[in-house]
Amino acid sequence: MKHTLQQIFHSSKFLTGFVIFMSILLVTIFYPLFVPNPPLEIIAQGSFFPPGTYVSNYDAVFSSTAYTLNLPDASAKRIAAKLGNKERSDIKDYLIKVGVPADQIDTTNTTQLLDQWTKNYDPKANIPGMIFSQQRYYQRLDKSLAGLLSSEGLIIAAKNVDTGALEQVGMINQNDYVNIKEVASVRTLPLGTDNFGRDVLTELVKATSVSLEIGLIAGTIATLIGLILGLLAGYIGGAVDDVIMFITNLFTVIPSFVLLILISYSVGQEHRGAVMVATVIGFTSWVWTTRSVRSQVISLRNRDHVNLSKLSGHSLVYIITHDILPYIASYVVMAFILQISSAILAEASLSILGLGPKTSEVPTLGLMMNWAMIYQAQILGKWWAYFPVLLVIALITFSMNLMNTGMDQVFNPALRD
Amino acid sequence: MKRLMFVLTIIVVFTMALTACAKATEAPAATAAATEAPVATATAAATEAPAASGGAAADVVAGDTVLPRNETLYFNGQQWGAVVCWNPYSSNCNNALGLAQQDNARVPMFETPYIYNMMDGKVYPLLADGPFTWDAGMTKLTFKLKAAAKWSDGSAVTADDVAYTWASHVKYNTQFGAANKAYIKDIVAVDPATVEVQAVLGDNGKALNPLLVQAYLSSNYVIQKAWTEALEKRTNGDATALMADVADDVVYSGPYGKFFADDTKVVFIRNEAYWGQDASMWGKLPAPKYLAHIIYKDNAAGTTALQAGEVDVSQQFNSNVQDLWLKDGLPISTYLPEAPYGIGASLPTAYYNRSSLGLDNVAVRKAIAMAVDYDTIIANATTNQSATFTQVPRSLMNPTPGEQAMYDHDAVKSLQWAGNDIEGANKLLDEAGIKDTNGDGIRDIDGKNLKYVATCPNGWSDWQAAIEIVAAAGKEIGIEITTNYPEWSVYQTVVTNWPLPTEGYDIFMMWSDGAGPTQPWGRIRHIMSSEFAETTNNWNGNYSGYKNADADKLINAIPNMTDAAELKAAYTELVKIYLTDVPSFTLMYRPQAFHTVNESVWTNFPHEGDGTNPAVPPLDLTDGYSIAGLYNLTLVK
Repeated sequence: MKHTLQQIFHSSKFLTGFVIFMSILLVTIFYPLFVPNPPLEIIAQGSFFPPGTYVSNYDAVFSSTAYTLNLPDASAKRIAAKLGNKERSDIKDYLIKVGVPADQIDTTNTTQLLDQWTKNYDPKANIPGMIFSQQRYYQRLDKSLAGLLSSEGLIIAAKNVDTGALEQVGMINQNDYVNIKEVASVRTLPLGTDNFGRDVLTELVKATSVSLEIGLIAGTIATLIGLILGLLAGYIGGAVDDVIMFITNLFTVIPSFVLLILISYSVGQEHRGAVMVATVIGFTSWVWTTRSVRSQVISLRNRDHVNLSKLSGHSLVYIITHDILPYIASYVVMAFILQISSAILAEASLSILGLGPKTSEVPTLGLMMNWAMIYQAQILGKWWAYFPVLLVIALITFSMNLMNTGMDQVFNPALRD
Repeated sequence: MKRLMFVLTIIVVFTMALTACAKATEAPAATAAATEAPVATATAAATEAPAASGGAAADVVAGDTVLPRNETLYFNGQQWGAVVCWNPYSSNCNNALGLAQQDNARVPMFETPYIYNMMDGKVYPLLADGPFTWDAGMTKLTFKLKAAAKWSDGSAVTADDVAYTWASHVKYNTQFGAANKAYIKDIVAVDPATVEVQAVLGDNGKALNPLLVQAYLSSNYVIQKAWTEALEKRTNGDATALMADVADDVVYSGPYGKFFADDTKVVFIRNEAYWGQDASMWGKLPAPKYLAHIIYKDNAAGTTALQAGEVDVSQQFNSNVQDLWLKDGLPISTYLPEAPYGIGASLPTAYYNRSSLGLDNVAVRKAIAMAVDYDTIIANATTNQSATFTQVPRSLMNPTPGEQAMYDHDAVKSLQWAGNDIEGANKLLDEAGIKDTNGDGIRDIDGKNLKYVATCPNGWSDWQAAIEIVAAAGKEIGIEITTNYPEWSVYQTVVTNWPLPTEGYDIFMMWSDGAGPTQPWGRIRHIMSSEFAETTNNWNGNYSGYKNADADKLINAIPNMTDAAELKAAYTELVKIYLTDVPSFTLMYRPQAFHTVNESVWTNFPHEGDGTNPAVPPLDLTDGYSIAGLYNLTLVK
């Protein structure tokens, strides 16, 4: 046993797969210890907030210590954020349209450009040939440019409780800074939020563990059914074999995914929890395990040690568990790994069709993809809502297939180096 | 070899991952009706065109005809599946661009005597000449037809046609006849140009419901008598056959007729002889020669086409619509520049199943409604495409200024709630004596926990997201709410029939009336009137079987009220009753139709402050008065 394990871990493929898989597994175990937030908690008002660190504006203003930094490029940066090259050339286009000679416009001279803009821009003007969305664009641009060149600070005012009048409570100067570590409320959302306003990373970790669970349950069910039927059919043979193979062939010709869809649909969503979906997947994907276990058992059935065991009067169960199972154990473990990975994929496919587990209870990888798609994340370029999910699915199945190939190299005599 | 296979596997895995990253032109299957909840698109996902996804197919018409792009106005979000028929007597034609006899009747092909404008709540004459008039005793109304009005075969539209249309609706008991029979006694032709609509009279000798009599004129088409007679002849007067007729030969009076239809697209072509170019109507022809609607597989395919400039007018829910111009810089805009981007007209509403444990108690109903975080529903579920309840406090009125002016805001202020009031909701429950007696964190009544299932149809994304947020509110106030999304086919038969099931439908969503000539009366009637309570096959409203004699009395009296102050008092009282009894509660405001336009080819679409008078409403440029927008379009230079 020790030797076998050593051999397996010597395979670089198995090792790579194992490391990837274990890292994913460890993250799902340890992440919730560090970030205990409930995975389905709706924190964002609005959908698809981009990844980043969110600093409370309010707390930043009232942070205990205010620092003054005189950075030479601060105002240039501020202007550049609002007035990039595109905005400058758009302003130029507008000015030309309203009759400012092109040679008088210098897009690099910010003060002059903004001066010309303020003088010539009229939000109500109907410029021939300008479509409405362009007019609105200029209205937005005009708004964002207001006070851009001002060097004065902003006054913070609060309403007086008694009189209702605004009273100055503070002032923010342009060279005021806060140290992010000193702001009371900061939340980093490494993968932003989803359409419901949930933290994608926290949800993804939970979803991964639920999907692994589904894979494990489904894989166990499928492998158990496949193994038992295969052993019985292969070893006993005769009528038992015929009946089992009849059923197996029946299931082989019906595409299992179609079966999966039909069963999930008829179960109805009110009963579709994660475990239910896993069970349905398990009960529809045992077929090929049965077939291959059976053929392996047939080849073992007439070996000498099996016959010897029979002659010694051992029972059917004893022979199967002691004389046959150990020989196909490595194969069964590999089949089990593949069953897990295909069950994870099956859950994802089902959920994308809207036939996955209920939304409100637990997240799964498939459900996350489904909601991202319903809210058109892929069209709107909200990659954080679906790409990490895809990557995790790919990594899980990839690592499992890698482990499987690695083990195959160790156990399969035909592939042994 | 083995190494090669290994490398290949890696490449394949990453290629797959990366392809998914690319902009999808073809959206994944089976999310079809993954729309939100359009009013009456029950048949939405009925038939699905195979893979006709936006892309290159857009410019090609079968028969090697290419529609000239600068003469064609493309739509999306209306037609799902192939057109079944062109028959204005049928209500199952699945002909979204052509046929819709409703409050804002769709008039590019068939026309109504009047067209409704939701912006000012008035009707404007289309086939009719001038306003209609009631007689002194309020027993009948009369209107004239325009002398210029012609059918597509060149004959004049006469009063006989109007009368015969009504007679046929009644004779064959069409949906339109059945809905109005109780209020309209008969429609007769006084002379070829004068129509008289005789109302069914109430006990006081006046029209039983003048509002509904008037509304008939702006929501039901005038159909040619000669064509109807031909139809009757070939169907031998059999009602079922008459309504099932495909009606390819139908005669119409509107500016557009059938050009081409299959399961990939529908195209209408302008009738160059359209009577409306007469000075008595529009004075010219509508700008686009063709109206076309590609049948997209789902919302995502429709959005992709809109982004690509293959769709000019989009009537579908595009989540985060502002990204299209803010981030992508596309020439796309909506009616309003900022959220809510459109004009809310209907009130998607959550109904309570009052037979569920605890939901017969007004404290529980109100507490749940108070605890729901509506701001999050509006920000996340509708991606800000709804006014908030701080901007437009809840009542029974939609956010249009006309309806908002119809009740006394100050009088009901103390009853309105803006949501997310956990403290208030908990207090209300505690005061009502509904507490957690067994310490499991969930309140109970007689030892039974308050556990509810909140539900809406599967795939209606904005409703589903809203229901999720309702469920989240339950947790905060010690009530367990889980969600469930049955398929629409199941859902619709359950919620429209009485009694409601004891399980699975404790809180459920349905739509309400949008904008129309009978509103807000029609909406209030549908939400509160006991005439729909506990009925089967009920598509009108009041799905929770609410009964209140005072409300009924007011609802019955309003159609005959003429005094503005009296009306306002009645509406205020109804809002009071509604907000006190909480038989249901509004979750968001929804536009009558989504209106997002791409100015790649056409421009001068209706938008706020566009200077049109009367203002053209932001509908599909085909519904009610919004058709006026088709005459204002110009090509982008």
